Amino acid sequence: METGFGWTGKILRVDLTERKSSIESTQTYAERFIGGIGIGLKIFWDEVSPDVGSMDPENRLILAPGPLTGTLAPASGRFELISKSPRSYPKETVTRSGMGGSWGPELKFAGYDALVIQGRSEEWVNLWICDDRVEIRNAKEYVGEDTYSTQIRLRKELDPSAKILCIGPAGENLSRLAVILSDSSFVSGRSGFGAVMGSKNLKAVAVRGTKPLKIFDPDRLIEVSKRVRYLSANNPMREWTTRVLKLEDQKQFVNMYRKKNTACFSCPVPCFAYLDVPDAGESTAHCASYYYYSAATQFYGHTLERDQAVSDSYVWANRLGLDTFEFRQMIRFLGDLYKKGLIKPQKDLPFDKIGSREFIQKLLHLVAKRESIGDILAEGCARTADRINGGWEFCSKYFPAYGAAEHGAIRKYPGVALLWALDSRCPIIDQHPYLRLSESYQTQPQPYTLTLERAKAISNKVFGSDVAIDHTTFSYKPEAIVYAQNRSAVINVLVLCDWVYPIIHSHVAKDRMGDTSLESQLLGAVTGHDLTEKELNEVGERIWNLGRAMMVREGRTRDGDTLHESYFTKRDGEQAISKPDFEQAKTVYYQLRGWDKSRGWPTSRKLHEIGLSDIARDLEKEGISI
Amino acid sequence: MVRHARKGMSAVPLIRRNKIALDLEFLEVHFRKRRALTADSKICTGCRTCELICSLSHEGFVDPERARIFIKSNPLNGSFIPMVCHQCSDAPCYYACPESAIEIEKALGVVNIRGERCTGCRACEKVCPYHVIRFDPERHTAIKCDLCKGDPQCVEWCPVNALGVVEFGKGAS
Repeated sequence: METGFGWTGKILRVDLTERKSSIESTQTYAERFIGGIGIGLKIFWDEVSPDVGSMDPENRLILAPGPLTGTLAPASGRFELISKSPRSYPKETVTRSGMGGSWGPELKFAGYDALVIQGRSEEWVNLWICDDRVEIRNAKEYVGEDTYSTQIRLRKELDPSAKILCIGPAGENLSRLAVILSDSSFVSGRSGFGAVMGSKNLKAVAVRGTKPLKIFDPDRLIEVSKRVRYLSANNPMREWTTRVLKLEDQKQFVNMYRKKNTACFSCPVPCFAYLDVPDAGESTAHCASYYYYSAATQFYGHTLERDQAVSDSYVWANRLGLDTFEFRQMIRFLGDLYKKGLIKPQKDLPFDKIGSREFIQKLLHLVAKRESIGDILAEGCARTADRINGGWEFCSKYFPAYGAAEHGAIRKYPGVALLWALDSRCPIIDQHPYLRLSESYQTQPQPYTLTLERAKAISNKVFGSDVAIDHTTFSYKPEAIVYAQNRSAVINVLVLCDWVYPIIHSHVAKDRMGDTSLESQLLGAVTGHDLTEKELNEVGERIWNLGRAMMVREGRTRDGDTLHESYFTKRDGEQAISKPDFEQAKTVYYQLRGWDKSRGWPTSRKLHEIGLSDIARDLEKEGISI
Repeated sequence: MVRHARKGMSAVPLIRRNKIALDLEFLEVHFRKRRALTADSKICTGCRTCELICSLSHEGFVDPERARIFIKSNPLNGSFIPMVCHQCSDAPCYYACPESAIEIEKALGVVNIRGERCTGCRACEKVCPYHVIRFDPERHTAIKCDLCKGDPQCVEWCPVNALGVVEFGKGAS
């Protein structure tokens, strides 16, 4: 297969132990796995054995844009990261994570489809990639620097327009909550990959690319991109930070301090807001940035101090390189523990002032530097709960599965509960396409509201039944989430943004119908690799099965596909998930996937059918009889 | 060979003399009739779609390095400044070109580079006050904004309408 268009044809591998770099061909992966998590998972499968720990030198950190990254295709500025995650609980597992901004496109312009980092450097280093030149540079002076000043200094040292990925003190100190950050607030958040970078003694990866990217059919790309932009013109995410935020005063907060909206590379939907709060920090902010909002409002009321505390909370999380999603739930968790007297008052962390500016600054600094109580919390809430007698009673409220912080209404939406149970990380990227349709007829404000009849008609067309958006029952949910997962895998191999694709419904179209074939049209226009929508969905299925095979190799079984027990009982007036229905839905899901329903493993026949014979063989070789 | 070189040398001042002779006419017309891009850095989101569509429509591939417009960005303080060609009324690039490869198109009111005459000496790039004349290393020529023959694609594609065209003869549009 031709990889001359869209793809650059080369994968860069950097071995930090040997201090060497080498080039491989993309050709071997392109046809079956396309790019992004596809290439990443396959490389990981081939090279890393399942018992390698996340912080071992043998672990790989794979940064993979896709064939659409860096092109005119709307919302194509993202790239995917694949590695063993330090965050997963109780066992470290392989997961994926995505990041926006403009680092991914820059890597493509430098001439690479992916970057594989392996080994461990003896001393701290920076990686500098400028087109064909790859340098491993000493980074002793950068140790201890926060992410913002690291970027400023590196740009001065290397190239003023270099794009930089870096870790803050949290990553250096191997906190499991550490993120990799680029620009002001583009982060790879949920999987703790900052600690993987830290374990390799790699402080930053700077890239500058000046090469062109060839397009197979520019006219068609322009035409399809125009259509995407037309259909997503009224995308509610466009004004996410202002109009769609659910709390009225949160909107006021954003409107008061917003300097402008900002976007990722090549994206028509500027969903970030650049906020400037007086006498506090400046940074771009997103929904995850307001994690401290309600706590601070409770403490200060509607005052300037509140706004400064909120601003500090996300600016310092960015600077230290910490994941705000985890902190959102951690603050509630700590509050509960403190109220019940399960943690003692700390000298350097004022628990009686949760919600104050002082508290959040101290908490973030302690966790990033692993000082006093921060040393325990840096392991993540799930691992903290293990060390506290009765800790899980509270932790389970906020951490439904594999130590990931809750996101999305798991009790309200049976489909979301299934997605959570069946993934290896917080399935936020899979639930967006699935839930958008439901939310638009339930909660979203004008002009984004759909009538129930229209939503049902769209659900019929996309999921095959209107029961898919009836959230009182588990029936037809397995079908809907198989679709959502496959489409999410498609998005993650191309790589596109899940906030725009798949366009299931559009507020500008007459019958509100979207167009789900746009991804395959874009791929055809950019690479000349013409797949129908159905064929592309099959690629998604292949990627999902590869991911599942990875989980199986790491010891995942049907019993592991579950939520914390407390979700099956009533709590605080919230409904319980019915366990028998849930298990029944899982069985249906395994059958739909063609997997063995007692163990939840892909069958050998299924793997052969979808072009993963080599994966089936590898599993057999390792003594896992599927 | 010697004679040829002499001929060439004498030819350069001749062209320059011609330019000066034409000065008044060009300057007047261009000053009154020029059209140029305008940009509002206050609302630019830094998505760089303009760079992509510019290179794609002119070159047939995507390459921000070979776009005739670019975003000067400092993401850490939220500043994104679209750098656009102003089609200056005093056109420094026009005067700097030793090969007469840069011409003023009266009908469109833009300053254009004729690629076939350009030798890639990069004199225009050095004098451009906005640094928007780029250099194409492959073809060894300078490239600059030609307003897409009157229908600028970057303006059409900007998702937040941060870009526009100003027609000096008719007032801002």
